[in-house]
Amino acid sequence: MNVQTPIRLTAAEESLAAQLESVGAGDAAVRFREAGLPTRRVEAYHYTDLKVLLSEVPPLAEAVAGTGAPVFDIPGAYRIVVANGVMQNAGTAPAGVITGKVGGSTLTMRDDTVVRLNSALVKEAVNIELAGSVDPVIHIDRRTDGDAAHVATGSKITVAPGARATVIETVATSDAGHMGNLGTYVALGEGAEVTHIVVDLSATQATQFSTLEYRIDANAKLMSIVIQAGANLARAQIFANFVGEGAHGDFFGLNLIDTDQHRDITLDVTHGVPNTTSTELFKQIGRGHGKGVFQGKITVAKDAQKTDAKMMSQGLMLSEGAEILTKPELVIFADDVVCGHGATCGDLDETWMFYLMSRGIPKAEAETILIRAFLEEIVDAVEDEALGEALSGIVDGWLAQGA
Amino acid sequence: MNGTAERAENDMTTPMLEIKNLHVRVEDQDILKGVDLTLNRGEMHAIMGRNGSGKSTLSYVLAGKEDYEVTEGEILFEGENLLEMEPDERAAAGVFLAFQYPIEIPGVSTMTFLKAAMNAQRKARGESELSTPEFMKAVKDASGLLEFKQDMLKRALNVGFSGGEKKRAEILQMALLAPKLCILDETDSGLDIDALKVVAEGVNKLRGPDRTMLIITHYQRLLNYIVPDIVHVFSDGRVVETGDKSLALELEAKGYADYESTDAA
Repeated sequence: MNVQTPIRLTAAEESLAAQLESVGAGDAAVRFREAGLPTRRVEAYHYTDLKVLLSEVPPLAEAVAGTGAPVFDIPGAYRIVVANGVMQNAGTAPAGVITGKVGGSTLTMRDDTVVRLNSALVKEAVNIELAGSVDPVIHIDRRTDGDAAHVATGSKITVAPGARATVIETVATSDAGHMGNLGTYVALGEGAEVTHIVVDLSATQATQFSTLEYRIDANAKLMSIVIQAGANLARAQIFANFVGEGAHGDFFGLNLIDTDQHRDITLDVTHGVPNTTSTELFKQIGRGHGKGVFQGKITVAKDAQKTDAKMMSQGLMLSEGAEILTKPELVIFADDVVCGHGATCGDLDETWMFYLMSRGIPKAEAETILIRAFLEEIVDAVEDEALGEALSGIVDGWLAQGA
Repeated sequence: MNGTAERAENDMTTPMLEIKNLHVRVEDQDILKGVDLTLNRGEMHAIMGRNGSGKSTLSYVLAGKEDYEVTEGEILFEGENLLEMEPDERAAAGVFLAFQYPIEIPGVSTMTFLKAAMNAQRKARGESELSTPEFMKAVKDASGLLEFKQDMLKRALNVGFSGGEKKRAEILQMALLAPKLCILDETDSGLDIDALKVVAEGVNKLRGPDRTMLIITHYQRLLNYIVPDIVHVFSDGRVVETGDKSLALELEAKGYADYESTDAA
């Protein structure tokens, strides 16, 4: 028998193991004690070494009453408040929406520490069933209040065949070193059309993990947007599976990174059946000593002929100390596919700056115009006007902070 | 930048632009080797010369592009040292360069850009910003003059514009910003004869007693439609000949060979 030497656990790892034990997840705790947090030796965490980056884990959250105005207000939206992981009374749901709770995590088990923690720690998740097309935007407003707390939450969104809906999930916290672990599972029935947006606006001391899982059935159309504008350490993982022919997905993401912050978006798209298409556009902008990571993997299964996937990642570094890391990966087993990826990274284009300035626009204003143009491409993808404006507000807020 | 008050004190006899013994180096190469030029108010000058003679370098130096090192000489704009001003300050003071290759900027609509430019210049001159109706009217009037399609204003700046549309957009900007000194760098390149006529007509309408124009070209063709008062021949980084408009026709007939320095041959 092969006896492994136990690894030395960091204080954060000890806390997490104890938390797993405290909720009765004994097996998960044993496994976690054996493996610890992923380090750079784990491929998927190569640029986000959690053993190094995660120095402290706050205690598991206690329930609080979620009151107060949302940090992110979308006029006309149907809002479901989740306070410290507990769903509050959501009010009357619009026609076609059934809201409720589902026990435990909604994520599919996979070999990933963040997913395993979510699976073991989530007690109840928001359950939304969309039976038909829904006009109002559905807003899941997650907030963590009080002292620093570790909150594991989840959502399950099931969209009936042919239904159309827009769902946005926001994460916000009080000013403390919280740690969030959100796991959302979205299933699109045949021909469904869904826009799903996740925005992290956590306090700058916080840590936020978000795992999004999509199951996309035949002829369905998904638009997924992830915006990470908060937390000191944030990592979003997106796992998307095309399971029916004729489906299409547009995946967008944005990392807004200030000094000393670390943001990671890791995308894993699988075209498992023939005739599915996708586009991926991920942008990162860094100031100060901010560090941004994008890992994008597209897998085309052996039978998935006629797959068409185009991935693009763009980085804009506004300071000498900013760092952008990008790793595209295409794994193609079929022979009749169109798959491509591109990446750009750099400073603001000097010739663009000169052109704007030669027309009388001062340097700082010219920079703002170009940065906004870079960022707005993601926000412009959103059809709903009120929602688009709310997302533009995040970009404006970020620009104003740096001014 | 100095205030407008000081500039207003300059009497009308101060030249619009004075270039004195200008030497410019780009990437360790001497491109301009002692340019002397004086442009008075209301005059239309043309600079003609072969490709590589330094004409475009001169236009970029006037507009303030980085990486152009002035090693000797000076440039006075209405008596003030132009080289000390940033590109945006030069624009606000009244210098405008119509680019040979207008820059495409994705994500920035032409309309947003025009409004930002007009208001930035107004602000720099201490004037109030234009209201949206005032701005729209100004754009509409100028677009009509240049046969510039309104729907193009919604598109990203110069992105997907044809060669002719780009040049028209440059002249549209010129009309809206109403500069004192217009530098047109190879404005005729890439234009068919119909587009050339429209652009030339637009430029001619902008001529006036307080506006000075400097047309840079290597073909005489444009000068059939925009008739200069004074023509300069550029060769090897300096002005080698100055004359009236007949000089352009002479060049067209004989070519530039007479002006090439013997050691360059």
